[in-house]
Amino acid sequence: MVMARSDSTIPIPPRIRRPMAGFGLVLPGLGLLLLFFVLPVLALLLRSVLEPQPGLGNYAEFFGSTTYLKVFLNTFTVAGLVTAVTLALGFPVAWFLAIAPRRWSALLFGIVVLSMWTNLLARTYAWMVLLQRTGLINRTLINLGIISEPLALTNNLVGVTIGMTYIMLPFMILPLHAAIRTIDPAIFQAASLCGASRGQSLRRVFLPLVAPGIAAGALMVFVMSLGYFVTPSLLGGTANMMLAELIAQLVQSLLNWGLAGAAALVLLVVTLALYAVQIRWFGFGRTAG
Amino acid sequence: MLLDYDRLGALRWLLGGISLAVALFLLLPILLIVALSFGSSQWLQFPPPGWTLRWYRELFADPGWLDAVLASLKVASIVTVLSVLLGLLAAFGLVRGRFRGREVLRALFLTPMVLPVVVLAVALYALFLRLHLNGTLAGFVIAHLVIALPFALLSIGNALERFDKAIEDAAVLCGASPWEARLRVTLPGIRLGLFAAAIFSFLASWDEVVLAIFMASPDLQTLPVRVWGALRQDLSPVIAAASALLVAFTAVLMLLAALFRRSKEP
Amino acid sequence: MKTLKMILAAGAASLCIGLGAAGAQAQSMVFTSWGGTTQDAQKAAWAEPFTAATGIKVQQDGPTDYGKFKAMVESGNVAWDVVDVEYDFAVKAAQDGLVEPLDFSVVKRDEIDPRFVTDHAVGSFYYSFVLGYNPDVLGDKAPKSWADLFDTTAFPGKRTFYKWSAPGVLEIALLADGVAPDKLYPLDLDRAFRKLDSIKGDIVWWGGGAQSQQLLASGEAALGMFWNGRLHALEQSGTKVGVSWDQNLTAADMLVVPKGAPNKDAAMKFLAQATSAKGQADLAAETAYAPVNVKSKDLMDAATVATLPDQHAAGQINLDMAYWAANRDAIAKRWYAWQTQ
Repeated sequence: MVMARSDSTIPIPPRIRRPMAGFGLVLPGLGLLLLFFVLPVLALLLRSVLEPQPGLGNYAEFFGSTTYLKVFLNTFTVAGLVTAVTLALGFPVAWFLAIAPRRWSALLFGIVVLSMWTNLLARTYAWMVLLQRTGLINRTLINLGIISEPLALTNNLVGVTIGMTYIMLPFMILPLHAAIRTIDPAIFQAASLCGASRGQSLRRVFLPLVAPGIAAGALMVFVMSLGYFVTPSLLGGTANMMLAELIAQLVQSLLNWGLAGAAALVLLVVTLALYAVQIRWFGFGRTAG
Repeated sequence: MLLDYDRLGALRWLLGGISLAVALFLLLPILLIVALSFGSSQWLQFPPPGWTLRWYRELFADPGWLDAVLASLKVASIVTVLSVLLGLLAAFGLVRGRFRGREVLRALFLTPMVLPVVVLAVALYALFLRLHLNGTLAGFVIAHLVIALPFALLSIGNALERFDKAIEDAAVLCGASPWEARLRVTLPGIRLGLFAAAIFSFLASWDEVVLAIFMASPDLQTLPVRVWGALRQDLSPVIAAASALLVAFTAVLMLLAALFRRSKEP
Repeated sequence: MKTLKMILAAGAASLCIGLGAAGAQAQSMVFTSWGGTTQDAQKAAWAEPFTAATGIKVQQDGPTDYGKFKAMVESGNVAWDVVDVEYDFAVKAAQDGLVEPLDFSVVKRDEIDPRFVTDHAVGSFYYSFVLGYNPDVLGDKAPKSWADLFDTTAFPGKRTFYKWSAPGVLEIALLADGVAPDKLYPLDLDRAFRKLDSIKGDIVWWGGGAQSQQLLASGEAALGMFWNGRLHALEQSGTKVGVSWDQNLTAADMLVVPKGAPNKDAAMKFLAQATSAKGQADLAAETAYAPVNVKSKDLMDAATVATLPDQHAAGQINLDMAYWAANRDAIAKRWYAWQTQ
């Protein structure tokens, strides 16, 4: 690095053209991942083509069974639904958090963070108690006269969505909030000076600027939802069983590691394919504007 | 105008209303857990038939719970530090770097989030048995680090992408070395991302139960494992009491932090 | 210099011998169970007397996880010496070669109820699946038989069943449909699923003991099938429950020794203690599970004995674990297929 200390010229740091610039920084994390994730998991996934006999029998069983395919579809449906609901609720909250006066935003922020702190099982049981037919929500609604029969809020898709939205909201709100905070408010003044209306400002300035943040939050929530099974197991009915629960049964109860590996690999491949699509659409490395 | 609170107009009520609803939504289970921890019924009934401190007494009488909390804290703290560190380095490499295969590496770093944890648990456990890492703190930390790293990378990577590199370059122009510039200009600039990375990494480890079951040993049991065992057998508000205590502890911490920040403001 | 070396070597050797001898006396083993209050009771009833009698320390580990079990046996690096597992898993594990055969010169086989002992496993405790109901929800109607469980007109409300593919639910469906107890096996799966279809919309599933208690106590489920110990705990805590023992189905937890366990001898001695009359009686008194040792009843007080499944032996049906072990995968496939429809 050349740092000329003359006061007649301003030194410009030269662009160092190294072919693998930055790779060294990735190495520690990569090393960890290769050693303690890629290698052992590959070894296990290998069993999907080796057990009980070498071949693609497990995959044939997976794709040939309506059960597994239905569970697979369920999983993506629920994950998509949860992501959509979380986004719909999380975006206004993140927006509010970014601009509200310090008192309110600090309180709201505190509540968001606090909601992540209770033990996952305790939270899920709490929702079970709240959503039961004899639970607080139904009883309040009946007492207020809004409904006469208790609503079925648990043991079905509604229960799973509510439970998982609760858990995923902070994962959507925090990244979105960070994204909105980095936007310079002056941009909107400039937009209105150029004659843009509120709605146009929203559509053509605000949303494109937060799009990467939305993509990041949505990706995190979607991917996490795919792998969750504790909450769906307690709040959902068996008709919406998720793949993670089935795989857990295969690994820990039926001890069928070949089929479990096959199911896991299919899930992995499909998810990475969706991620690749998302990169094409939103790209990454593209900064705002 | 859209980011100016005072000029929002009607939109302010919409945003505020939704935020209030969501805040109540987020608070509801917490309040219920706290209420249940004082309820006299062993079954999760609300409103409870009576009030009692019995569950807290049970909680404190059993040293196993305290050991589990301390074990969880130990693991989660170490995981958080390492995860943010490794995530920071990797984020710099992936965002600023100029080498081939960045997209592939980025996807690779995400895969621990996608793969069902139980598959990773069995695979890692088999490996650790060979390396004699099972049941050790190091093994526990490594296992949780693997699933925490994607969170750190996503949060920090996004913050770094949004950060305007020109500011860092300007610092270098003013005479700072590149690393000095990163430390004193960029890091504060991405502090929201760092904060999110830390919180997510901590919680990824703190709340994790499947890997923890596999990594546990008689001397090393984290809190979720204990809760899991307790819930399988008997429903007991002791778990509600444990949760309530942790919430209270965190709330106090946050309050102190807020007051501290307030006192530092001119 | 040479003398110094010799002295050091001799000193090191004697130290090693001394430590080795000390180590041989301070033996230890690992007992793994499901956690919670049951494991606490097992620790108090078995581990503590065992250590007092033999000096062998017993470390508690858990919860039992079959994936972990298989992984450690396969790798040859076994960390558990005695494991509490479900009966059908015990039989399957024996078939798959994952457990050691038991040493019956140490464990007294003739004192144990023959229903709950095999060459590779011995009972930890046993229990029954019974019909439970919430009288506050059902009023003065009292269901008695498994057929009542499927009668939504006479007994309206949600009913709760065990969620996972395991012995119990299918047998209950067949019994409710009129199959004679001695003609239950091999299970007519089509018939059982047809019967379950008739009330599918009213079923709420429980995945664990605690959840089953919560569902019944809150009234979310009006009636259902339960582990008798769970209902007993409900009654003891003051909640009103109704129980019917008609055609109750027995099942058990078993104790096994993983293949390659590092402390096999200690494990066998532990099993002897756990299945002894006193060990079983103490556990039963704490947990309301039933003892597998036939002599335990003499050591227990009458009140506790009255709560045991033994009192309801008339009409009691034993779930066929060997059948389940052999057909586990096939049944599981149909079970999940039916559940996710």
